[in-house]
Amino acid sequence: MRILRNAGEGLHSLGLNKLRTFFMMAGTIVGVAALVVIMAIGKGTERKVMKRVQNFGPRAMMLIAGGGKDLPPPDMTVTTLELDDAEAIRNQIEGLEVVAPQAWRFNMDLKHENYQTQAVVWGVEPQWHDAWNWPAVEGEGITSDDVATLARVCVIGSAVKRDLFGNQNPIDKELYCNKVRLTVKGVLEHRGVAGMGGVKEFDNRIIIPITTAMRRVMNVDHVGAIRIITKDAALMPRQVEQIRALIHDRHHITPPQEDDFRIVSPIVIAEMVRGTSGTISMLLVALAALSLVVGGVVLMNILLISVTERTGEIGLRRALGATRRDIFAQFLTESLAVTLIGMIVGSLVGYGVSVLLPRFTPIMAITSWEPLLLALAFALLVGTFFGVQPAQRAARLRPVEALR
Amino acid sequence: MIELKNIEKTFGTGSVTTPVLKGISFRIERGEYVAIMGASGTGKSTLMNVLGCLDKPTAGQYRLDGVDVVNLDDEELSHLRNDKIGFVFQQFHLLGRTTALRNVMLPLIYAQEYPEDAEDRADAALVAVGLEDRMTYQPSELSGGQQQRVAIARALVTDPEMILADEPTGNLDSRSGLEVLAIFKRLHRQGRTIVLVTHSAETAEHADRVIVLKDGLIAEDRRIEQPRDAEEEKARSQQEETVT
Repeated sequence: MRILRNAGEGLHSLGLNKLRTFFMMAGTIVGVAALVVIMAIGKGTERKVMKRVQNFGPRAMMLIAGGGKDLPPPDMTVTTLELDDAEAIRNQIEGLEVVAPQAWRFNMDLKHENYQTQAVVWGVEPQWHDAWNWPAVEGEGITSDDVATLARVCVIGSAVKRDLFGNQNPIDKELYCNKVRLTVKGVLEHRGVAGMGGVKEFDNRIIIPITTAMRRVMNVDHVGAIRIITKDAALMPRQVEQIRALIHDRHHITPPQEDDFRIVSPIVIAEMVRGTSGTISMLLVALAALSLVVGGVVLMNILLISVTERTGEIGLRRALGATRRDIFAQFLTESLAVTLIGMIVGSLVGYGVSVLLPRFTPIMAITSWEPLLLALAFALLVGTFFGVQPAQRAARLRPVEALR
Repeated sequence: MIELKNIEKTFGTGSVTTPVLKGISFRIERGEYVAIMGASGTGKSTLMNVLGCLDKPTAGQYRLDGVDVVNLDDEELSHLRNDKIGFVFQQFHLLGRTTALRNVMLPLIYAQEYPEDAEDRADAALVAVGLEDRMTYQPSELSGGQQQRVAIARALVTDPEMILADEPTGNLDSRSGLEVLAIFKRLHRQGRTIVLVTHSAETAEHADRVIVLKDGLIAEDRRIEQPRDAEEEKARSQQEETVT
């Protein structure tokens, strides 16, 4: 095949000047590597988003007390959210399955006979069990009667059960929380260890009626957050706005006045997760685009210089019988081979970085084969786009002038 | 057989035109060894470009081995050059950092039918110019005379109708020049058609016939009764060297 012989001549020329070939390749290597990393980070980020949203609850929202740019500390020091807010949401917003206000306090001393431990105390309404999908597996959970009567009862996590009661049956036993006597009416399902919201161990907690928590244990008039579950995730964006408007109204806030609350939804979580890797990805996109364009221009210019430099060679080849098409094919091969080899090297670099990135940084990156197709397309595009002009210039040289 | 009839070549367009060839006619039979001679500016290079099918004449007829060259397009001319003409240039024009063998194979790459025995042919061509022990050498590892011999092998490899040599000894010392001319003489004796373009009367005397150009026209076209024999002269100069 004549075209293959021309390609062979092109490859031979590339091999003769390795440094020049490397410079022609550099842009493609960087560009393709960046491209591969971008796509790996993108995929990793989406995986992270999905995991976070799954953890949070795809149909869940959290109305949290406290505004501002940064998340408030989860310690209930912001006093703007009240039980009535939850009641208003429950009554006025349609399409909600659960509205569960909650108050909490960390590191509360718990005591049963001679046994002591520290745990988080959560004041909740009965809906809490549904809102977190967290039932009592022994005894029973918090009921509306408990809330209405400020009952001195509690449902304990499995860690608390272990620490205070050992192998005893804790139901109907009593424990003291901040000198308040509570009767154990149930044990929560075991959840295990996970790292979210500063809670190291999910099971190291007790839950009590929210009224009991506010009046008897914590002595506060406000709640820390309200967990809301919608019936239909599709309704959520509208519901978020409705809730926002309702709380604005109840708290007498008129934008642009700053909110004294925030609503966290899967959308917000996704934005938060995407935030950091998004910035990095944007930088990499810029880098990829820049290196592919700059690399392409460099490639074209080196090729143009090499056409000028090799005028004699082109003239010789024409004299020996090369047609214009032969010369064009040879130079286009040089350009395409450069970008294709650059693509392979760039992909290797990109995959290497994608594998190392999650090991040494918090950035998640998942490699896949799709970037290879994109990189191949880019390599061919850049190679053709920036190779055609030099190849044409070479092909148009008249043999008589080229040989001079 | 090469036949030129009233070949004219004029450069420039419009009102500013320079006629360089003003009507050249000659015939060269197969197996002839012809020198085309002329000082610079006589149209010698232009004629060589026309003969080599690198450039088309403005007017006139040129038949090369029965082919009417004037009516061919760029691609057909390329194939014709590949098929019928073996070029030898003053500056050798070898590909740098490329072995002698690969350099010699270069014209075969552009053949319309790539011969399967391309490497054997290149091999044979290098043997024919006495470089059988230099096949894997690169041009930078060869002397000027050896480089020109590689170029001659490259011209031979396609078994062309005519070898067209443009000042082949111009860049060589007299001894290497004689060596190159000796090869031409040998090729001529084997029946090759050789056209040697030169400005030097001395070099031209190695041919059987000399066509002298002057001012775009043929001033003289004569047989050389006793052509110089490079082989002999080479031997003699070697003898002298050993004596002194």
